[in-house]
Amino acid sequence: MMTTAISSNLPVFVVIAPFIVAFILPTISRRLRLVESLTLVLSILLVVGAGLLTHYVKAQDTATFYSMGGWTAPWGIELKIDSLSAFFVLVVAGVSLPVSMFSVANLSGEVGNSYRTTRFYVLYLILIGALAGIAFTNDMFNVFVLIEVATLSSCGLVSARNEPVAAHASFTYLILSTLGSTLVLGGIGLIYILTGHLNMRHVSAELAQVWQSSPHVVWMAISFFLVGFGVKTAIFPLHIWLPDAHSTAPSPASAILSGLAVKGFLLCLLKVLYNVFGHSIIFEFGIDRLLVLAGSIAIVAGSIFAIAQDELKRRLAYSTVAQMGYLFLGLGLMNTQGLKGALFYLASHAIIKSALFLTSGVIISTTGKKNVRDLAGVGRKMPLTMAVFTISSLGLIGIPLFSGFIGKWHLLLGGLETGNFISVLTIIAGSVLCAAYLLPVIRIAYFGSAPEESKGWKDPGLPQKTSLVLLAALILFLGVFPDPILELAGSAAVNLLSSG
Amino acid sequence: MLFLILALLSGVVGGLIVAAIPESRERLRNLIVILFTALGTLSCWVVGISAFSGQSIMLVGHIAGFTFSLGPDPLGALFGIIASSLWMFAAVYSFGYMSEKKRHRTYFTFFLLSFSVTLGVAFSGNLIVLYLFYELLTFTTYPLVIHERTPEAVKAGKKYFLYSLSGAGAILVAVVFTYSMSGNLSFSDKPILAGSVDPRLNWLLVLFIVGFGVKAAIMPLHRWLPSAMVAPTPVSALLHAVAVVYSGVYGVLRVIYSVFGHELISQLSFGRVLPWIAAFTILVGVIIATRQDILKRRLAYHTISQLSYILLGAFTLQPLGLAGAMLHMISYSILKVALFFSAGIISEQTGETEISKMIGVGWSLPKTMTIFGVASLGMIGMLPLNTFWSKYYLMQGGVEGGRWQVAVVLICSGIVNAFCFIPTVVDAFRGKRTEGVLNKERGKRLFLMLTPTAILAVVAIFIGLWPGSVWPGVEAVVDWFF
Amino acid sequence: MNKLLNKILINYPYFFAVILFAIGVATIVTRSNMFKKLLGLNIMESAVYLMFIAAGNIRGATEPIITDSNAGSTIINPLPSALMLTGIVVSVSVTAFALALILRMYKHYGTTDAILIAEMRDKNEKWGNK
Repeated sequence: MMTTAISSNLPVFVVIAPFIVAFILPTISRRLRLVESLTLVLSILLVVGAGLLTHYVKAQDTATFYSMGGWTAPWGIELKIDSLSAFFVLVVAGVSLPVSMFSVANLSGEVGNSYRTTRFYVLYLILIGALAGIAFTNDMFNVFVLIEVATLSSCGLVSARNEPVAAHASFTYLILSTLGSTLVLGGIGLIYILTGHLNMRHVSAELAQVWQSSPHVVWMAISFFLVGFGVKTAIFPLHIWLPDAHSTAPSPASAILSGLAVKGFLLCLLKVLYNVFGHSIIFEFGIDRLLVLAGSIAIVAGSIFAIAQDELKRRLAYSTVAQMGYLFLGLGLMNTQGLKGALFYLASHAIIKSALFLTSGVIISTTGKKNVRDLAGVGRKMPLTMAVFTISSLGLIGIPLFSGFIGKWHLLLGGLETGNFISVLTIIAGSVLCAAYLLPVIRIAYFGSAPEESKGWKDPGLPQKTSLVLLAALILFLGVFPDPILELAGSAAVNLLSSG
Repeated sequence: MLFLILALLSGVVGGLIVAAIPESRERLRNLIVILFTALGTLSCWVVGISAFSGQSIMLVGHIAGFTFSLGPDPLGALFGIIASSLWMFAAVYSFGYMSEKKRHRTYFTFFLLSFSVTLGVAFSGNLIVLYLFYELLTFTTYPLVIHERTPEAVKAGKKYFLYSLSGAGAILVAVVFTYSMSGNLSFSDKPILAGSVDPRLNWLLVLFIVGFGVKAAIMPLHRWLPSAMVAPTPVSALLHAVAVVYSGVYGVLRVIYSVFGHELISQLSFGRVLPWIAAFTILVGVIIATRQDILKRRLAYHTISQLSYILLGAFTLQPLGLAGAMLHMISYSILKVALFFSAGIISEQTGETEISKMIGVGWSLPKTMTIFGVASLGMIGMLPLNTFWSKYYLMQGGVEGGRWQVAVVLICSGIVNAFCFIPTVVDAFRGKRTEGVLNKERGKRLFLMLTPTAILAVVAIFIGLWPGSVWPGVEAVVDWFF
Repeated sequence: MNKLLNKILINYPYFFAVILFAIGVATIVTRSNMFKKLLGLNIMESAVYLMFIAAGNIRGATEPIITDSNAGSTIINPLPSALMLTGIVVSVSVTAFALALILRMYKHYGTTDAILIAEMRDKNEKWGNK
């Protein structure tokens, strides 16, 4: 009885559980160990839940719809459980587990006392819950609410370090991001006026009938969504908030923000574009070409900005701007290969960028050096940390047998299929530029002559080590055995392209 | 099978062991290095000889949805044997050369890792594996290029890296392209794209040639090579005259004969341009070389020119041309390594790196300069040296393919080559033997450096007098593709 | 021209929503005072709420509470109003959070001007590096 109740309501539990735990945590903030272990247990449960969901989705041919509270669509809020949502929840759970593990017995130094640390965990769990919700939701207003929850908790995470710089970064992020959400809300409003629905299935069915009679409104709604989500996903040139925000946040927060949060917003855009508008409208308005163009510009410009940065975390933050370009490019390719590649790349980048931010966090907190040119000697004194950094870098550059390669391979296949040679060129140029901004870090860390003060530097404690090794193992695992994730991404891509 | 695995793994295992040995244990480290290099070389010979006799050994694995296959055909076996044998010589030379330098551990670790990766390139059984090892080669040789850690070295390393990675990027696109066209990436005696008709094939060929051309230093993609000469001499000799650049040449040969096939290339308009690009590189490369005053830079530009001999032979698309290319691959590498080794001895013993200051060097380093002179004669292509035969076949291949111009280019290049090195040798022995000039060819360090150099010169003469000794390998390659 | 004017007159709530939206965006982009930025944000959000509520309104219809007297007559769509309630809650929390951040910065930098704060930050970073 109990098991069926849980299993039939599993998606709800996956979304609700982080929220519940988040609201329990403040009551036990005196006992930091308990807070940490509770978060860790929840993360493990999330991974299990995501695994079960994936298992369930793989057995199913079509998407399953779940009505919240028994209110069926179009009146109630509906959750959609299909390969896309299972895929994203798996990514969220897979990345949040190592990040939670990394935070154990490590955060107070960066964030402050145990109360502040507990608050950090509260925001962190709310963010995870919101991201899981984004994966499932099939209701447009619910999308707005969830992205606002995600935005607010992200802003809170950015300002978690008790520093005025963090407050400034957080404020910029908050204003721009809320601007974005308001635009999205405007877009939702226009769609609602046009169709009278908020449920994505119903909207899309209605829109297919009416869009030709009022193309201007549809065009306006699409531009609202594109700019709104563009700000939130930090697509170049709407990225100005990201480098500040992601580089001033504590490193686990940077990892989760760069690794997952921006991707959650991207997923919303993906759902809106493919599930609501459908590819005939995307084609008609030339959105696909726009996305490829925006992605290409982001890849090149973001990488060049990254090369110019000397501060390690800022360099990584600009790298996120560049890597988001790949995902946009994949969305714009409009074929199964490209979309599959983009989704796989999303997973791969989530893991890699978390690993990079966590290792750089370790390096910065151990050595006190923020800048790339001062990192000499780190490679020898902190072998494990730097090994993980190297593996992640190779993965991001896209060497075969690392996860990034598989994503790039499918993106390239997709680009060649559409005959879009600009995309092919930028994907490759992006790899080379990526090497240009990551490899100097490795060179200096391994081959630079170590300064006197480097005697006391050493690898972090056991939980941190485990978490880093886990991430590195995931990168290699996805590079060598990508099939389970790739199949999931592939079936998600097929579903997205066949709808609408 | 066992020998194939041994050949591929000896470098990696040896490299890891060396990395674990403390910096101060020099003798132990040298022992490990020579042991594992010898093991790899020996296995390589065994594998190679069985490949020449037609037995194919394959390691096949399915990883990440791709087939990874390792196993040499005659071309790969030939490349593997050349590279691994020269690695032995370079190892011994390095013991001498490095004994007065710093950071041995890093040097020998990457020296051995590069060994494995180069053999990986040689034994690659499909395009994915070739791409993987081609990319890895950049990563494992990069620390060797920046070994001196001077700002100049770091700059050269950056250049090397960006050129190589851009090339690898072009190859990746080309590989994906090939995959989407044919769905097959494995090398066999039948070309991958045989019989396909597609207007985009020309572009595919351009992509491949640009990609592999970076490491093969085809002009105008050659700029990294002269800068990379800041590396220690054994590295310049082995990697930038043989292993790394040959992996590029090898890639081009693969593209021509295994991916497209000579029949398809002859139908492509870009295929007809290729010999002229190679001819241009041959002439311009050697002319620029004569204008360089720093000996290592002169050798670098000379390398660029000589690599295109091999490419030119391959681009003739004739059996005799390919035979010439294979012979040149063998002969040139031996002589060039000898030249670099002598240059290293000169700069280490006298401190001179510029040719204009080397007048009279021959009196203090008579043996070295003799070897240098012998190798210079080889570069012109005179009997009794091995390069005579390779040039002979290259010319024959050109004429057979209906391009008598090839022969003219080779003759011109031979004459310029004479201008390039003979004056240096003459200058070295010019002037009176002044008082107080010591014979600087003494000591253990010099013994370690001079011995491999001398053996290489002897081998070159031996092959020149008895070219039949290497003919079976060449014949196997030609038979495989024609 | 007359036709356009007519359209605007009929759809005047949307017209005002657009104007409000423009005012809001302009305020956020052009003003460097952080309070004003926040006010602009709120104006912009109000514009969107206005649009939603206008979309739910039907002229001449009654409120959506069905009693004996109005059974069968047209009623206003209550959904947008309910949604906007959620929207307002969200915007209140954003405002509260932003105010807290402004306070934090004011305590440290002594100003609420975003440009001045950015300048001070740059200066600090340069000193920090030396």
